[in-house]
Amino acid sequence: MKKKILLLMYMLVSVVWIYAQTKTVTGKIQDESGTPLGNVSIQAKGTKLGTVSLADGTFSLSVPSTTSTLVFSLLNYKTAELAITTSPLNLKMQAAIDNLSDVVVVAYGTTKKPEITGAMGIVKAKDIENKPFTSVDRALQGAVAGLQSVASSGTPGASQQIRIRGIGSINASSEPLWILDGIVVNTGDASRLTTTANLLSTLNPNDIESITVLKDASASSLYGSRAANGVILVNTKKGKSGKTKFRFDTEIGYSDIAYFNEDYRPLNANEYFELTREGLVNAGASPAAITATLASLGQGNNVNYNWLDAVTKKGTQRQYNLSASGGNDRTTYNLSGGYFRQEGITLQSDFQRWNGNMSITSKATDRLTISTTLNTGFVQQNAPLAGGSFGNPILSSYFLLPSRAARNPNGSLNIAAPDFGPGNLHNTVATAEMDKRFLKQLSARGGLTAEYKILDNLKFTSRYGIDYNVLEEEQYNNPFHGDGQSVGGRAFVFYTRLFNYTWTNLLDYKFSFGKSKDFTTAIQLGYEAQDSRTLSSSISATGFPATTQLTYPVVAATPTQASATGSDFSFLSAFSSASINYKNKYVLTGSLRRDGSSRFGNQNRYGNFWSVGGTWNLDQESFIKDIKLISQLKLRASYGVNGNAGIGNYDWQPTYSYGSNYNQQPGSGPNNIGNVFLTWEINKPFNVGLDLSLMNNIVTLTADYYIRKTSSLLLDAPVSRTSGFSTVRDNIGSMENKGFELSLNVIPVTTKNFQWSVNINYANNRNKILSLVNNQDIITGIFVRRVGQDFQSFYAPRWAGIDPANGDPLWYKTATGKETTNNFNEAQRTVLGSASPRYFGSFTNTLRFKGFSLEAQLYFSGGNLTQDAWAGFYMGSGNGPAFNKVLRQYTERWKAPGDNSATLPRYVYGGNRLAQNPSTLYLYKGDYGRIRDLTLSYQLPGELAKKLKLSSAVFYVRGTNLFTLVRDKKLPWDPEQGVASQTNLNVFIPKTITAGINIGF
Amino acid sequence: MKMKYYFIGCFFFLMSCSKDFLEKKPYNALPVEDALQSEADILVALRGAYASLRNVDLYGRTIPVLGDLMADVTYQSLTNSNRYTFYNQYGTPVVDGNALGMWTAGYHTILRVNNILNSTIDGTATARQYRGEAHAIRALMYFELVRFFAKPYTDNPSDVGVPIITTFNIGVKPKRNTIAEVYALILDDLSKAYNLMTQTTNSSQFTKYAARALEAKVHLTKGDMANARTAAIDVINNGGYTLVGANNYVSYWQNPAPLTNKLETLFEVSSDGVANLGFDALGYIYSQNGYGDMICASDLYNSYTATDVRKSLLTPGTRSGAAVFVNKYTNIVTDRDDTKVLRLSDVYMIAAEASLGTNETDARNYLNAVATRRDASFTGFTSTGAALLEDILTERRKELAFEGHRFHDLNRLKRTINRSADYPASARTIPYPFNRRLLPIPQAEMDANPNMVQNPGY
Repeated sequence: MKKKILLLMYMLVSVVWIYAQTKTVTGKIQDESGTPLGNVSIQAKGTKLGTVSLADGTFSLSVPSTTSTLVFSLLNYKTAELAITTSPLNLKMQAAIDNLSDVVVVAYGTTKKPEITGAMGIVKAKDIENKPFTSVDRALQGAVAGLQSVASSGTPGASQQIRIRGIGSINASSEPLWILDGIVVNTGDASRLTTTANLLSTLNPNDIESITVLKDASASSLYGSRAANGVILVNTKKGKSGKTKFRFDTEIGYSDIAYFNEDYRPLNANEYFELTREGLVNAGASPAAITATLASLGQGNNVNYNWLDAVTKKGTQRQYNLSASGGNDRTTYNLSGGYFRQEGITLQSDFQRWNGNMSITSKATDRLTISTTLNTGFVQQNAPLAGGSFGNPILSSYFLLPSRAARNPNGSLNIAAPDFGPGNLHNTVATAEMDKRFLKQLSARGGLTAEYKILDNLKFTSRYGIDYNVLEEEQYNNPFHGDGQSVGGRAFVFYTRLFNYTWTNLLDYKFSFGKSKDFTTAIQLGYEAQDSRTLSSSISATGFPATTQLTYPVVAATPTQASATGSDFSFLSAFSSASINYKNKYVLTGSLRRDGSSRFGNQNRYGNFWSVGGTWNLDQESFIKDIKLISQLKLRASYGVNGNAGIGNYDWQPTYSYGSNYNQQPGSGPNNIGNVFLTWEINKPFNVGLDLSLMNNIVTLTADYYIRKTSSLLLDAPVSRTSGFSTVRDNIGSMENKGFELSLNVIPVTTKNFQWSVNINYANNRNKILSLVNNQDIITGIFVRRVGQDFQSFYAPRWAGIDPANGDPLWYKTATGKETTNNFNEAQRTVLGSASPRYFGSFTNTLRFKGFSLEAQLYFSGGNLTQDAWAGFYMGSGNGPAFNKVLRQYTERWKAPGDNSATLPRYVYGGNRLAQNPSTLYLYKGDYGRIRDLTLSYQLPGELAKKLKLSSAVFYVRGTNLFTLVRDKKLPWDPEQGVASQTNLNVFIPKTITAGINIGF
Repeated sequence: MKMKYYFIGCFFFLMSCSKDFLEKKPYNALPVEDALQSEADILVALRGAYASLRNVDLYGRTIPVLGDLMADVTYQSLTNSNRYTFYNQYGTPVVDGNALGMWTAGYHTILRVNNILNSTIDGTATARQYRGEAHAIRALMYFELVRFFAKPYTDNPSDVGVPIITTFNIGVKPKRNTIAEVYALILDDLSKAYNLMTQTTNSSQFTKYAARALEAKVHLTKGDMANARTAAIDVINNGGYTLVGANNYVSYWQNPAPLTNKLETLFEVSSDGVANLGFDALGYIYSQNGYGDMICASDLYNSYTATDVRKSLLTPGTRSGAAVFVNKYTNIVTDRDDTKVLRLSDVYMIAAEASLGTNETDARNYLNAVATRRDASFTGFTSTGAALLEDILTERRKELAFEGHRFHDLNRLKRTINRSADYPASARTIPYPFNRRLLPIPQAEMDANPNMVQNPGY
């Protein structure tokens, strides 16, 4: 009884105490434009009391009467402190530009900006959304200093190559690791039959909230043996509590060839036959042979067909995206759906994508939060053949003679001899109509995450993520013309399934220590298992009925391929990271990871990777704090070891393969030398950086200098082929990339209605090979890998022009000498320059006037050479004489002795002294600038939008790749030709104009 | 609090993943040590070696094509797919892909048979048969390599040949053995092959007498007429093979499958409906339904009489002017044509040529055995001496055309190649010696092997 009374008394006292000691503060929180902000965390300073604002921005909080200040915080907004002076207490929160509380997504978690010790780049949703790109990798071009994103083809859906801080490997992958919502995902080109199948193309860029690019050891080494090429963390959009927000985006657009040099247009019939007659005379053909040959090439048939016009067209572009996001204080969600369609600028190139995206987070209990994300995308795509395939429309437009027309006078397709008999180049207009060639790709990427707060400062996270890609590639070649003709029609159906799961378990522990808890520490322990399995089955058949209606192997007479195989790899990792932060002034971070992989030889299976990093936030020092000019000043340094495990799944295993069958009986042969010690490549990045922000963020600057040395490079050391093999793979070489990166933001003018901001990012990189197998040159095609030289050094004889007396091609005999020769075999090859740009970056200007905004981004890249790898055919002085030539061949050829203005040799039917062989004649300076983005947008004023029952409305017109400026006026093809800067008769890179609307309601 | 321990427990439980998690095996291959363990394994590996002969730059296409194109049998049409252009022009560069391919695939095939020969499987008649076939394949490969990449034995046997490799060593950087050493290995292999083999599968695998036929050809190439004659006559008398005649000549060439009836073919490299080179197959470069680049030289066409059955496989037509199309390989879909390597008719003509110095009657008889079977109205050669040699060589050109023999005949005889006006003007007379009658040692080999010596002129 006594106890009961005591308890009652205690309760009464408590109530009285609370009553006596509290006050209630109410108010409303908005953003700068006046939109109410929900979910803002409000805390009475110095206490644990707090609440969050409702969706309409209002809040109510009881605080002790002694509390004088409230602290307001929200992700992506500047944390504000406001004295309780008025009631209601209203606040307009400012979007965070650079703030101590700004949270950044990093490896296996998030961190605050002052605690960052590494080099990273961040891309926000608005830089990726509503661009006419089929995949997010394309949108990264120019977005982050030091990240080179380069296309080789304008085919919708084509894969993009990304290099972060140069090329770090010779034979292993140089592509970065992609992590989507914490899950390791397969990326790259998974095509086996069609031209390209970019796994990332199933992901809708509009579903992405932010991208963090991890560039140095401190940022990325926690990813261990896969961090060497950098890591790209992609975070999809998540819901926020509050009123459900709907958003609808749509756009429509047109595209055309971005760069075309008229000097390289294909010849018309008159020009071609004039040239060919001259070539036959020069080749010593008899008059009868000349007449017969010209006739067989179609002279006098009154046809003058423009194949380039026939295979190219205006492209179109459209997309629709709808999303809904909202929730309450326990559960939030984001749902979105999208449709994207792009028709390329050549025949047979189009791309469609359907997307569904879902993300739900729920606080199941105060301690347990569960969340799930699921990104699904389905892509259907047609991509024409590339390179030397007879069915490549770009090849045909440069190689097919103007005397061959795509259609007969009666309108039917011209697919018969003499123009398009068997063995000739294909009529690609006909094959585009009669053949089929497409990819259907389905991806589902998602995961389940549970976070359990064991203690307030100890958190356990378990995440199981899957990455599931299914590709159906199909091809049908009709029995009448083209690749299928000789076998009576053929069809292929290839199925590829990539399934990859990652299971990650994390323990996060945070605590403070020291006098007045000045030191805060975060420690993470993690364990991760990844298993990736690929199944691929391939079916093909020949002998089709005489129709183009039936295109599947089911109707074919002869099965020619019925095979299935797989390819798997796995990783098993334990890792840990820790940071110590002293008053946000000094921060030390460290990471350690132990990785094992099935890809590493069984004698060398586990590796250790680590990093250390430090930061000094000078702006927190009292001697700087008082300098008003400086709002942020930070020095960073890091060093570490990570690896590149981008090696073949079974490279280390010495094997005999089966499949060398004879008389349809199984046969075997040695296929892989193997190396049981084969292992990851080692990357040791060193980085120093500076972050500076002046005058309240009017000027912000980030500068980094890095040196990264890669060693134990996997090299396919050439061996004497008398051994039975061409190369052997081992961890041998080493290479260095060093460079400088700069990002600068300046806001020169800000007035009430007008703002001008400038953003520059710039990176230069020098690559140097440090060691090779016995330091012997490795010659791969036109490239030489030589110690002391850039990895992508072009290696060919120097072109010395022509002999004006007889029109012979001339080459310099030696690397530096002046002596010339007309014998190609006597001309020494020499290192000419690199295919990698020495510098690249972007320069962006944004002008805002009231609701109008004009943004212009110039992307620039230069210091490299680019090779026209096919010029030997259309500019090879008569090589491949039955193929069409380009205008430059016609206008610049040598015609008669003393022809001093000519720059190309005498045209000889069949070729003139190997003039077609690679030399500096076919290399061009690759420097270019391109207006990557030019966008004019108008945002409806808030009041007007409100009247229309909208929360926001934006209209825009956007030009992409509108103008391309090149340094070398002779550059034949688009300057963007893949990382190796070699043309491959790919679909032209497009320039696109789009107009669109974004509506929020 | 219990939950806490539960979670921590889970965490550490997960860390004890099984070791098997990191074991991933390829789907199409076995560890080397498991691949050659039994007689059955050796048979599978032997098939792999035969399949390797089908490589596009071996018997798949390049070997037979070059043997005619570099001589006076076929030329490249002005309308062409740009294959073998350099050989048509006699302008082969050191980086030529076909020379590289032949070198690479040749030595890869040698590796395949070396592994068989160096395995411990032996003893039974079947194992000896397999080893015999492997010896024969190795001899064949070295014979092709030494003929394409080195001077003829008849020129200078002590000049550089090609490296002899008989065991696997990835780090090997061999010098070129002498031509004589290479021929010694070839003959040693063939002698072993002849003695080991007792079984006959079909015409696409080596037999005792196929090895003997190759031996006859090797001796002839060396200019060793006595041994060539002995070996050839052994095949003719004891091999049990029969010559193809005028009546079954066309059907013989139309058949794409290996034979078991010992008709004509001693050895051929098989292609079938599944394992074939598709557009790269031999037939595709001859057939006017394929690339159709290779055209019969007009003087050769004109040398066939109207009643010669061989003429029925040639069709005059138009392709950059008048052209004679070759119909020896017409199976360019489903089961592709096999590549004939050794035929009994070849052996008869070897016997004829090898008998010239010792027995002209025999020589005429062996020659006429072939010639009269091709042309019903032909009664046989009656020539003697030098004229008879010319008749034999002419008949070899006509009989073995499009099978890649002529170039090597002209090389071993060190004769000038006189090509018709079908060929490029700059490459109609190819004297002996002439640097580009040898293929270049591939640049890739030169780059990787400092002990390698390049052929003159490259």
